[in-house]
Amino acid sequence: MGPVVYALFTYALTAVISFAVIGVVVLIDKVMSRKGEQK
Amino acid sequence: MEWLSNLFPGIGTLFAVEPAVAIARVVLIALGFVLAYMGFQRKLEPLIMVPMGIGMICVNAGVLFLEGGKIGTLLIDPLVSGTEPLMQILQVDCLQPVYNFMFCNGLIACLVFMGIGARSEISFLLARPWTSISIALFAELGTFVTLAVGMGVFGLEPGQAAAIATIGGADGPMVLFSSLIMSPELFVPISIIAYLYLSLTYGGYPYLIRLMVPKKYRGIDVEVYPPEVPQKTKFIFVVAVCGILCLLLPMAAPLIMSFFIGVAVKEAEIDPYQELLEKGITYFSTFFLGLTLGTLCEASTLLDPVVIKVLVLGILALTVSGVGGLLGGWVFYKINKGNFNPVIGIAGVSCVPTTAKLAQHAAEEENPFAMIIPIAMGANISGVITSAIAAGVFVTTISMVG
Repeated sequence: MGPVVYALFTYALTAVISFAVIGVVVLIDKVMSRKGEQK
Repeated sequence: MEWLSNLFPGIGTLFAVEPAVAIARVVLIALGFVLAYMGFQRKLEPLIMVPMGIGMICVNAGVLFLEGGKIGTLLIDPLVSGTEPLMQILQVDCLQPVYNFMFCNGLIACLVFMGIGARSEISFLLARPWTSISIALFAELGTFVTLAVGMGVFGLEPGQAAAIATIGGADGPMVLFSSLIMSPELFVPISIIAYLYLSLTYGGYPYLIRLMVPKKYRGIDVEVYPPEVPQKTKFIFVVAVCGILCLLLPMAAPLIMSFFIGVAVKEAEIDPYQELLEKGITYFSTFFLGLTLGTLCEASTLLDPVVIKVLVLGILALTVSGVGGLLGGWVFYKINKGNFNPVIGIAGVSCVPTTAKLAQHAAEEENPFAMIIPIAMGANISGVITSAIAAGVFVTTISMVG
């Protein structure tokens, strides 16, 4: 893998993991606030 | 002349080394004074620059003749190797225990990160989570551009280029940690230059903001209502995200653990621990970080030709990251049809909380009622997360590049 391809690959991987982490954060937030509303 | 040299070895050693080293010592003593004074004047970060400047002066002034005609100091010897010489030097050089037991294993980076975690307010991230993380990713541009330039143009080894590229994340502890793992031979110059440049972001980024965001856009106020997130929710996702990130990036687990343990202590309201992390550990580690970095600025270490490459790539990384962040700000300005201040983009560069404060300051200068700090802090915290992820990705995948 050349330098440019590797840089693009790691940038894309960083973006995917970052969005996945934020997805989890938002999901937990939604689940918890829904539980709060039900109470 | 010899009696003078023995009486004042600090001066005598100047004539016993190569002229280039002697000149570099004098220049570094002067530079140490400038850094300490600029810290005193609050033009550079005083918490780092005052101890660093003084350390730099002392290590270049306090040079003497040691056993066997060797020239050195009684402060630190970063190049010592082997168990026996190390045990001897640990009993002589006063900062050697700090260097060996806190620097070489990345502990100091973890301690600083615990303090950053304990000061981070995670609910800012929840105000606009997707915007915050996207801006942070734009502001990582410098990291990846520098990685490609370092390997492709400067011909550095992949590990060396990746370690230098992490300067683009503008996260001091992350740079220390990455260079220790991926390029231990360049650890000293990379960490010194990274912290030097991070202090310069105070002075340089306002010009970049003025260059890329015209006056009339800098004062845009953004209506943000940070959601009232229950403590329990925040604690649960701090613990969950910590576990997920460690699972995905085990190589970055020490830093991830340190950051999230700080946040968890804050959210769990364990006051004695929070006070310990915020007031004790943060200042203890920052002080010794500055002082030890200063004493590592020895003339002979910094005369290595590779330092020039680190200097050029470091400034490239931080500049491109700043440009990337502001471009991200413009993208969200367009997406939100003008209801977004492009200056927020600079806060994606994760120099917590400096860049968020810089964004607020730039907005306030044009509009005293502009309040963009909540969303800027969200981008700032996201920047810490993306920098940790980028460093973890490098450490895990660096063997793939040929």
